[in-house]
Amino acid sequence: MESSEKKSSEESLIGRRAFLQFAGLLAISACSEDKRDALLNKGQEFNAWVQSKTFDPARLAPTYPDSELTPESEFRVNGKEGGTPKIDLANWRLEIRGMVKHPGFYTLDQVKSLDKKVENVRHVCVEGWSIKPKWGGTRLSDFLDRVGVDRNAQYLFAECADGYYVPYDMPSVLHPQSLLCYEAYNKPLTADHGAPLRIVMPVKLGYKSAKWITRLTVTNKKPGGYWEDQGYDWFGGI
Amino acid sequence: MTGLVESKPVVPLKKERIHPLVIRLTHWMNFAALIIMVGSGMQIYNASPIFAFEFPSWITLGGWLQGGRQWHFFAMWLFALNGAIWVGYNVFSRHGRYTTLFRPQDIHGVLPMIKYYLRLIRHHPPSGKYNALQKLTYTSLPLLGLMILLSGMSIYWPVQFQWITSVFGNYDTARIWHFLAMAAIVIFFLGHLVMVAIAGWDNLLSMFTGRGAAHHGEHDTTPSQHERANASPH
Repeated sequence: MESSEKKSSEESLIGRRAFLQFAGLLAISACSEDKRDALLNKGQEFNAWVQSKTFDPARLAPTYPDSELTPESEFRVNGKEGGTPKIDLANWRLEIRGMVKHPGFYTLDQVKSLDKKVENVRHVCVEGWSIKPKWGGTRLSDFLDRVGVDRNAQYLFAECADGYYVPYDMPSVLHPQSLLCYEAYNKPLTADHGAPLRIVMPVKLGYKSAKWITRLTVTNKKPGGYWEDQGYDWFGGI
Repeated sequence: MTGLVESKPVVPLKKERIHPLVIRLTHWMNFAALIIMVGSGMQIYNASPIFAFEFPSWITLGGWLQGGRQWHFFAMWLFALNGAIWVGYNVFSRHGRYTTLFRPQDIHGVLPMIKYYLRLIRHHPPSGKYNALQKLTYTSLPLLGLMILLSGMSIYWPVQFQWITSVFGNYDTARIWHFLAMAAIVIFFLGHLVMVAIAGWDNLLSMFTGRGAAHHGEHDTTPSQHERANASPH
C-alpha cells in the first residue's frame, strides 16, 4: 500500500519535471532573438526555393469574364508611401541595359508597337486583399526579345520614377501573362496607377507590379528591392 | 486505530501507459505549432481584415506583417509534418482504432453525452477510454487540420495551386474558409482547456508521462472477427 503511494508520488514528480523542462525549452527559444531570426530567415529562403521549384512557367493565372471584374470605381490605388511622382510624359523613355543586344532608350510608342495583350486577372496584395482589374499592354517577353535579351540571364531589375525598385527571376518575367502595361479598363493608365508604363505580373504578389518604371536591367547579379530589402519575400510568388 | 485504517482502504491508482510516446510528442508539437500559426495568422489578418474587427496587437505574433508571414510560413511546415507523422502513426500502429476513432455505432452515444454535459441527465453515460462526443471531436480534428492546410495553400499559392483554391470558391472566399477553420480550432482549444481543467492534474500529467488511470472499457469498440483476423500475424 505504502509503496504504491510512493510510486505514484514519484511519477507525479517525473511528470512535473517534464512539464517544467518543456516550459523552459519554450522560454529559451523565445529569448534568443538572434537565433530565432536566423531560423526564420532560413525558413524564408527555404520557402523561396520551394516557390521557385513549384513555379510552372506554363501555368496561367485564372482569368475572368468582364462581368466579374472589379468595377473601375473600386480600382484601388496602392503603393509605397510618397505618392505619385511627376513625370514629363513627352520626354519619358524606358531605358534597357545589361544582358541585351540592343540597350538604350525606348519610347512608349515603340513599346506599344508590339502585340497588345489584354487580360482580366487577379491582383493579390501581400496584405491579403485582392482586386480583378482589366490590364492591357505588351508581353514583357515580346519586348525583351525585341531588344535581344539573353534568355539565359537570371534576373530582371526594374527601377521607377518614385525611387521604387524591384527584382524578378527571369522565368516569371518571361511568363506569358507578365506585361509591360500601359492600359487599364481599355484606357491609358492614370498617373496614380503608374502612367505611362508599369509592370503587371499575375504570378506574383502585388508589390512586384511596379509602377512608373523608367529602367530595366537584365543581369546575373541578384538585385535587391524596396520591400525585399526590408525583409519581404524576394520571390514573392503566388 | 488499525481497524479505522482498514475500514477506509486506499484504492491504489492503477496506472498504465495510455498515451504512446509518438502521440505525446506530436500533441505538444501541434500545440506549439498552432500557437505560432494562430498568433501570426492574426498578425496577417490585421494587415487587411476580412471582417469589421482587428485583433489586439498584444495577441499577435511577429511585430509587423512580414514578421507574421515569416512565423506563419515557418510553422506551417511544423504543423504539416507533425500532422503527417500523427496520421501515419495512427494508421500504421492501429492506436486509437478502437478507443478514439468515431464509428457509425458511436452515433447513438452522442446525444446522451450532450444531455449529460447540459445536466439534463445525471449519470455519465457508459463509455470506454473516450466517450462518443470525444470520439467525434478527436476524429473531426484531423479533418479540420486538413481543411486549414488546404485553405492555407489556396491563399498562399492561388496561381500555382489554383485547383485547390477553386475547391474553396475563389481566393477571397478561401480566405474566409481559412479564417473559419482557425476559429473552429480555437474553439476546440478553449473547450479542451476547460475539460483538462475539470479532469485535473493527473490527467494533464499523463500527456507528458504517458501514464494514467486506464479505462478498460467493455464499451470501447471491439475489433470485429474480420479485423482480428487481419491484425494477427500471418
